[in-house]
Amino acid sequence: MSSNRVSRAQLLLVMLLLVVLQFYVRPRLWDARISPDFLLIALMLFAMRSSPGVAALAGFAVGLIADTLTPARFGAGALAHTLVGYLASWGRAVFFADNMLVNAGFVAAGLWLRDFIVLMASGTNHRQMLTELTLYSPLQALTTAGFALIVLITFRSMFSVRLDA
Amino acid sequence: MISTSDRRYTRRDTLLFLLCLGLSLFGLFSPVTWAHGVADTLRGTVLSPLVWLQARAEEGRTSRVRFRQVTSQRDSTAYLSQFLPSLRAENERLRQLLRLSRRLNSGYVSAEVLHQPQAMDGRTLLLSAGSRQGVAVFNPVVAPEGLIGMVSSVSGKSSVAMSWAHPEFRVSAFTVSGNAFGVVAPSNEGRNGEGALEFRGVPYRDSVPLGTLVLSSGLGGVFPKGIPVGTVIGTVREEAGWERVYRLRPAANPGSAAHVLVLVGTPQGRDLAGAFPSDSLLEAGRLDSIARLRRADSVVQAARAARAARRDSLTRASPIQGGAPTSPIQGGTSSGPAPALKDSAP
Repeated sequence: MSSNRVSRAQLLLVMLLLVVLQFYVRPRLWDARISPDFLLIALMLFAMRSSPGVAALAGFAVGLIADTLTPARFGAGALAHTLVGYLASWGRAVFFADNMLVNAGFVAAGLWLRDFIVLMASGTNHRQMLTELTLYSPLQALTTAGFALIVLITFRSMFSVRLDA
Repeated sequence: MISTSDRRYTRRDTLLFLLCLGLSLFGLFSPVTWAHGVADTLRGTVLSPLVWLQARAEEGRTSRVRFRQVTSQRDSTAYLSQFLPSLRAENERLRQLLRLSRRLNSGYVSAEVLHQPQAMDGRTLLLSAGSRQGVAVFNPVVAPEGLIGMVSSVSGKSSVAMSWAHPEFRVSAFTVSGNAFGVVAPSNEGRNGEGALEFRGVPYRDSVPLGTLVLSSGLGGVFPKGIPVGTVIGTVREEAGWERVYRLRPAANPGSAAHVLVLVGTPQGRDLAGAFPSDSLLEAGRLDSIARLRRADSVVQAARAARAARRDSLTRASPIQGGAPTSPIQGGTSSGPAPALKDSAP
C-alpha cells in the first residue's frame, strides 16, 4: 500500500472523527449558535485539497445532511454548502493555502458565507439576518476557525496530502 | 494554454458543480411535502446513525442538566429545612401571642425584642415599641407563657424592659390555690446556668406543694393580678422557723422571647389569670386538687386514729366494769362502739 493511500485513509479517519464530534460532542457544548461547526471544518479541509467538482459534491452532501437534520428550509443548506465547497476549492488556487492560518481563515470566511447564503435562501427578515451576520456568525466563525487550527496542528502530516493529485 | 486532460478535468468539475447546484435549487423550490418526504427518508435510512448519535448526545446533555437541577433542588430543600423548626417555633409563639392578645381584653402594645449579643442580654430587653405607641414606664411586659418583666425606660420608638432576671426585679405573688402570698425575686443560685426565681416571705405554716403555679397578686399596682410568674420546683431555705423560700421555674424565658406584649392601661384589680390558661395552669390545678385530696385523707386518717385510740382506752377500762376484752383489730373493724360506752368516753 502506497504512502499516499495511507495518508488518504488517515484523512478519511479525521473526517469521520469530525462527523462524530459534530453529532455527539457538539450538542453537549455551550450555546449551539456559537459552538464550532465540525462538519464545515471537514468540508473546508476536504475542499481545499480536492478538485472543485468533488468539493461541490462534498458540499452538496454536507448541505443535504444539514437540511435533513435541521428544521430550516430544505435545499438552502445544500445550495450554500455546494457554493462554499466549490469556492473553497477554487480559492486554494488563488491564495497560498498551505499556510495553516490561511486555512483557518478560509474556514471562518466559508462559515460566514454559508450562513449568509442560508439566510438569504431561507427568506429571513433583515433584522434577524443583521443580528446573525454581525453577531452570531462571526462568533461561530471564530470558534470554528480556532478548532480548525487545532485540527490542522494535530494532524499536520495528514493534511499535507493533495487529494486531487 | 490548458491541456486536453485539464480541460476535461475542468469540465467535469463544472458539470458536477452545476449538477449539485441544480439539485440544491430543485430542493429549494420543490413543494414542501416533497422536501419533507426526502428529509424523512434520509433521516430514516442513511442518516439514522447520525440521528441516533445526536439523540444520545442530547439525552446525555439533558440528563446532566436534569441531574444538576435535581441536585440544586435537593440542596435548596435541605437548606430550607434547616430553618423549618425555628420557623415553626416562631409561628407557634406568634399564634400564642395572638391568642393571648384576644384573651387579655385590655390595652396592649405588641413589640419585638431586639436581642443584643451581650452576656447581660436577658436582664434588660430592648423593645421595638416606645412612647409613640403608648408604652410608659412600669408597664408590665408579658409573653404567652407568663410574666417577662416591666418597662424601665421609654424613648420615642423603643423602650427598655427590666426582666425578672434583673437583680432589682420584685413582684408580689401568690399561689394559684390562694393559700400563700409572698414576693418573687430573681435567685442568686441559678442551676445549670439557667435563671431561677425565689418565692420569698411565705409563712412557715403555709406549705406550698411542688408544681404549684405562682401568679402575680396585683398588690403594688404595677403588675395586674393573675399573670403566671413561675412554678414551684423546690425549697431553697427555711428562715428560722417563720419563713420558707421556694425555688420557682420561671414561666417565661426573656432570653428566648422574640415577641412580647406590653400591657398598657390595664385597670387596677383586674384578674388576668383567665388570659393564661396554659398547660402549667391546668397542671397546677390538678396538683392542687391532689394536694387537697391528700389533705382530706390525712384528716380522715387522723379521725380514724383518734377513734382507735379512744376504743383502746375503752377496752382497757372494760375488765374493771366486767365486760369481755375486745381486741383493737376487732374494734377497728366493727361498725362502732356501743352507745353506752360512747357516752362514757371522756
